[in-house]
Amino acid sequence: MKKLLTLFFSSLALFSVMAQVDKGNLLIKNGTVITITKGNLEQTDVLIKDGKIAQIAKNIQAPAGVRVIDATGHYVMPGIIDAHSHIALDGINEGTNPITPEVSEEDVINPFQIGIYRALGGGITTVHAMHGSANAIGGQCETIKLRYGNFDPDALKMEGAPRTIKFALGENPTRSHGEGSGIVPRTRMGVEFVIRQAFSEAKEYSEAWSKYNKNKLVKGFRGAPPAYSYRHEVLSDILNDKIIIHCHSYRADEIYMMLKVCKDFGIKRIVFQHVNEGFKVAPELAAQGAMASVFSDWWAYKFEVYYSTAYNAAILTRNGVVTSINSDDAEMMRHLYHEAGKTQKYGALTDEEALALITINPAKQLGIESRVGSLEVGKEGDIVIFKNHPLSIYGVPMYTIVDGIVWFDREKDPDDMRLVVDPKQNIDNAMLRDKNSDLDHCMEGAEFILDSELFNANKK
Amino acid sequence: MIKTITLLRSISGVFALLLFASSLQAQEEKELKPVTRTYAVTNVNVIQAPGKKIEMATVLIKDGLIVSVGKGISIPPEAIVIKADSMYVYAGFIDGLSRVGVARPKEEPSRERVKDPGNPTPERAGITPQNDVRYSLNPADKSIEDLRNIGFTVAQVAPYGNLLPGQSSIVLLGGKSIDQMVLINNSALYSELSGANNVYPNTIMAVMAKWRELYRQASQSKSYQSLYASNRTGLERPASDRVLEAFYPVIDQKMPVLFKSEKMLETHRILKLKSDLGFALTLGDIKEGWPIVNKIKSSGAKVFLALDLPEEIKKEEKKDDKKADKKADSTKAKEVAKPKTATDLEKDALEKRRAEAITNYTSQASTFAKAGVPFGFSTLSAKAKDIPANLRRMISAGLSEEAALAALTTTPAQLLGLSDRMGTVEPGKMANLVISDKTYFHEKSKVRYVFVDGTLYKMDVKEEKKADPNAKVDIEGSWSTVTQTPQGSNDGKATFKKEGSGYKGTVSGGRMPAPVDMTSVTLEGNKLSYSYSLSFGGNSIKIDVEVTVEGDTFKGNASIGPRGSFSIEGTKNPKN
Amino acid sequence: MKGLQTIIGLAAAIICGVVMHAQAQSPKGKYANVALTNATIETVTKGTIQNGTVLILDGKIAGVGTNVSIPAGTEIIDCKGKFIYPGMIDAGTNLGLNEISAVARTTDFNEIGEVIPQMKALTAVNPNASAIPVTRVSGVTTALTIPTGGMLSGTAALINLHGYTPDQMYAGFEGIVLNFPNTGRRGFFDRRTDDDIKKASEKALASLNDVWEKAIQYHKLDSATKGKTGYYPELQALVPVIRGEQTLLVETNTSKDITAALKWVKEKKVKKVILTGVAEGWRVADEIAKSGIPVITGGVLELPTRDYDRYDRAYANAGLLKKAGVKVAIKSESSNNNYRNLPYHAGFAVAYGMNKEDALKAITIIPAELFGVADKLGSIEVGKSATLFICTGDPFETKTNVSHVFIDGWQMPMVSRQTELYDEFLKRDPGVNKTKK
Repeated sequence: MKKLLTLFFSSLALFSVMAQVDKGNLLIKNGTVITITKGNLEQTDVLIKDGKIAQIAKNIQAPAGVRVIDATGHYVMPGIIDAHSHIALDGINEGTNPITPEVSEEDVINPFQIGIYRALGGGITTVHAMHGSANAIGGQCETIKLRYGNFDPDALKMEGAPRTIKFALGENPTRSHGEGSGIVPRTRMGVEFVIRQAFSEAKEYSEAWSKYNKNKLVKGFRGAPPAYSYRHEVLSDILNDKIIIHCHSYRADEIYMMLKVCKDFGIKRIVFQHVNEGFKVAPELAAQGAMASVFSDWWAYKFEVYYSTAYNAAILTRNGVVTSINSDDAEMMRHLYHEAGKTQKYGALTDEEALALITINPAKQLGIESRVGSLEVGKEGDIVIFKNHPLSIYGVPMYTIVDGIVWFDREKDPDDMRLVVDPKQNIDNAMLRDKNSDLDHCMEGAEFILDSELFNANKK
Repeated sequence: MIKTITLLRSISGVFALLLFASSLQAQEEKELKPVTRTYAVTNVNVIQAPGKKIEMATVLIKDGLIVSVGKGISIPPEAIVIKADSMYVYAGFIDGLSRVGVARPKEEPSRERVKDPGNPTPERAGITPQNDVRYSLNPADKSIEDLRNIGFTVAQVAPYGNLLPGQSSIVLLGGKSIDQMVLINNSALYSELSGANNVYPNTIMAVMAKWRELYRQASQSKSYQSLYASNRTGLERPASDRVLEAFYPVIDQKMPVLFKSEKMLETHRILKLKSDLGFALTLGDIKEGWPIVNKIKSSGAKVFLALDLPEEIKKEEKKDDKKADKKADSTKAKEVAKPKTATDLEKDALEKRRAEAITNYTSQASTFAKAGVPFGFSTLSAKAKDIPANLRRMISAGLSEEAALAALTTTPAQLLGLSDRMGTVEPGKMANLVISDKTYFHEKSKVRYVFVDGTLYKMDVKEEKKADPNAKVDIEGSWSTVTQTPQGSNDGKATFKKEGSGYKGTVSGGRMPAPVDMTSVTLEGNKLSYSYSLSFGGNSIKIDVEVTVEGDTFKGNASIGPRGSFSIEGTKNPKN
Repeated sequence: MKGLQTIIGLAAAIICGVVMHAQAQSPKGKYANVALTNATIETVTKGTIQNGTVLILDGKIAGVGTNVSIPAGTEIIDCKGKFIYPGMIDAGTNLGLNEISAVARTTDFNEIGEVIPQMKALTAVNPNASAIPVTRVSGVTTALTIPTGGMLSGTAALINLHGYTPDQMYAGFEGIVLNFPNTGRRGFFDRRTDDDIKKASEKALASLNDVWEKAIQYHKLDSATKGKTGYYPELQALVPVIRGEQTLLVETNTSKDITAALKWVKEKKVKKVILTGVAEGWRVADEIAKSGIPVITGGVLELPTRDYDRYDRAYANAGLLKKAGVKVAIKSESSNNNYRNLPYHAGFAVAYGMNKEDALKAITIIPAELFGVADKLGSIEVGKSATLFICTGDPFETKTNVSHVFIDGWQMPMVSRQTELYDEFLKRDPGVNKTKK
């Protein structure tokens, strides 16, 4: 990393070839390899070639010129995946309309945010960078890899990852639109209605287009096409299962409602986010193959999370729901391994189950499990090397590797890791976290539309 | 961030209203026609084009055109002779993107809540691509004179607004009427990647989605229009839509899209829209293009780099360092002996990174030149008075003087399709010229004459001469001030009090609820400058005043960043 | 009367039938004389005792060691393979004052006014707050609950997390909270200019100095008139601080502000002071050490305060302060009632450089000392209050479970709403189908 920075200052040419993703070769020697899917391998080496895991075995000879990291006494595990984050984005909420599927976080990736590096420092390699939760149907999200050091936003994208979109139920959309603007939805009834309405209209839209396209084949056909709507195009893609829904939700009733909506519209792929009361409808979630991405222990910051329990992940797991633990927070994402560890206190999950919550399970939820989430030959070389076991409180990420390139090196990286420096920034400027702003960051950017007590309290 | 910007924008409107509320009817001065339109600039060093110089030559101008250039040209009797002995004449400079001469909209976009913020009218959302900047030109706007005074004669000007405010025009920086000013109308479809206040599209991602949707809807409506035109019978009448119709020439590649593209990420995003939709693109006011110069190059977009630069790290600190060096050896030894604390070291490292960052900005133009990307300059966010110094900073950061001149003349002429008319000092070209007493990029160079479309503007350099570093003036006391703004003139009060070796002051007046302390006051000779901030809803804007004091009066400018500059005059009130 | 209650209770039980049975009342605490035997005892102040016994009699620790005689009839809890620790003390919470952060009607920590030191947290502590059992079953037995907002936001109180009235919960310390003028930004929504921030903090300091001057005048007049100066609640609340009898808890975070606070404290000759927050303490650690003023820092699980800071500064802060010679306690600081994570904050401090023993002290004996209650709390010693917990391993580890908690000799039920929901929903009945085949 340091090398990269120095290079940047000395030679601008380095960054002139853009959006070309760097892939590396690396040999990690003699660590305890936690594969997640195939058990633990003691004193084993992992060889990454051209960004992909080429071999996992004992005593691999380092190919000429390949960097070797000695992981003796350390733990080697797949890079951690955060299925719910808002880092690396310029803009989180298009909170003006309850239905905004046409907007996409893909357009506003910000590769310079220091939070990306800090997340690497917590062993994170892949992040689901999400739209916020102001709208019932929010924007499309982007699955990114933390290749911090690239100046091209496109270089962070995980090419080929399935498209995903944010939905939101409950207090946030009703607060934003019902309370904030006086338009539907103001209640959970309204939330269901606007989603069903959007889907129904999209169905009509795509039927109209099919009809038009069919008519066009008839010789001599003359007629007006249906008016193009970007919004309905994206909604149609959701109905055709081309986009995975990630649905912000808390209460059991709204989760159940959304399960029924999906059933009625034939939507198969849905992941519930936060889903604090998912434990109450775990059998229904499991039956429909819906997945859950939860906080380890957050509760009580608003009414809809009041009846929460830190045992949520364990109950969901035991009921057969594919579950992950996410952060939704730039600080918490730095220790998802610790958050996963809490499921051992709250529900006695095994090491394997606990680590799956932050690796292979979130990979499944993002549809990238064939590429990342476990250490297997052929998968991408996204790895974190821990001093002490990752589920121990004393676990410390030492190296974080994406595509075989070391992007975080605890011993060698300099303190100041900013990629760009604002020439106008006052250097002596601290940013403190407001004690009362620990709400889910899903609402960032939508403040203007809210009259919420909380935001007013914060602005005081 | 977007919100901050739009907020600031509306604040500056509020500011103007607050401070300059009372309106005064401007007195129209009746100017006499010039006697002749023939001029001979004699004995001048002609820089015909970058790197092409004729010494001690004559430039003959007639009826708005350059008639001849060279030595031994006979001067017709009707010519007014300008003895430009040992001066330098260049082709008039061309500004690729600015709002010079464009009147600020009287009503700032409303910040009031809209009933259904998800479905605002196009106007409320900032989508008025059918608008024509010509209707908001003001030939008397002082910004025209400011820019002309430093050598600019032509500018591509864009309307105010956020997303798609309208179409730009290329105008002459002179002329008494709008039509006299306009050289090429509807030169580009202007756009900014910034959202509307509190309504859709509010965020950049929604702006981009909206852009794509509008473009695709326009393509669809355009092809249906032509289907309909081919045979109207039996077809539903296509709806008329001013917004979509404004895209038609863009879709036909007959009109480029001109984007403000200051930030690096903004540039990436604009290039993405271009590659998605395929329109011809001009990038204006680029500030952070150095890391993506090759990406810009391969996109084929036309490029105008910003003439605005981040401020240099204050020299005062360095001066102090030098003074410290000159101090007695004993003190110096003591200072050296004192080890730097961790905090000092941290501060040094941070300052170093900041200095490196600033270098990136100043060397941007040279980076583009080295990469072989043709570029012009734009003044959109620059203060006119900073531009010559900024050009010198770019030159000392590696840009050759020839390349700098090309970026002011020949290249923008090419990029804007004006090469047949301007960009060089050659017979047949429009008489757009700038004449300076030294080479233009010399630190002490002053522009003396500017020709725009054959009309002569003489620069008043007297005031500058008055600036006397050794003058002794007494500013202590209270001053009545009058500020001229587009909203009319405004009375105020400034009070100065000596404190130590410097001054402190307060400002009051207009509709300011209470006097405000000046944040800085400096007096060097008879050059007085002071600054103060006004707060609006938790945000503040800074006002910088720079005046020359003469006895009991002063004269100069009050500026609110790049958002505007107004002339200010002051008279000292007699002591009670 | 008792008879009537029984009848009503019976009627309710009949009406509610099975439901009543499923949702049993939370079990009560049990006041018991207990011997905890065969345990590894982490005394904190006197080392580790293997295979030892802790004897609890009449709410106090009556014996600690390998050779403790157990009176006949004493209940015995065999702690083989288990560990005994003193109850953990979270020195920065709003426990009892906050039910749901976003629902204003359920929060009681932020009164109106800039200078309101007379507002007492203890008054508003709700002994039935849902977060209290959630916190204590994790071994956090004692908490400083603090009012926030304004400059002098009120009087914080140390409470034990068991009791039915605030007085039963009160643990022997109250301190005045001062939010020292702040020059940092308060979050992403804080868009003030640097200038505005500077002005606001200068103004705040001037007003603080004014308050202080008046408090000193009041103290002098009050001494001269022997307490007959008249009703002036704000200043009356400050007098004990002026007289050096009560602690001033000074919340300050940026390095500049910490330096300014130290200077202010020195100028005003405030005798009993604790700095709280101290996020950028590492930057000025030597300065703080030199002042001899102790610190309550945290939460540890935080972001660095500046974008150019090393990524792990917040994790390392407590350790760096300790290393410089500062007396450091750790608090968890949380707005979502997760004070149960206090041991993990300490654990992270250890992972990023703090000595493990120091981190344990930072959540036990050090806060007890800072609050002047080290004779009762903070370690396992004879004569101290029986406020302790039994666990299966290192309490900083998430694998470790807490099996028993004692507060003032009361054995706590190991349930909270969160465990109850687990019990009910792990195997929900009915599952997907209501009718059973």
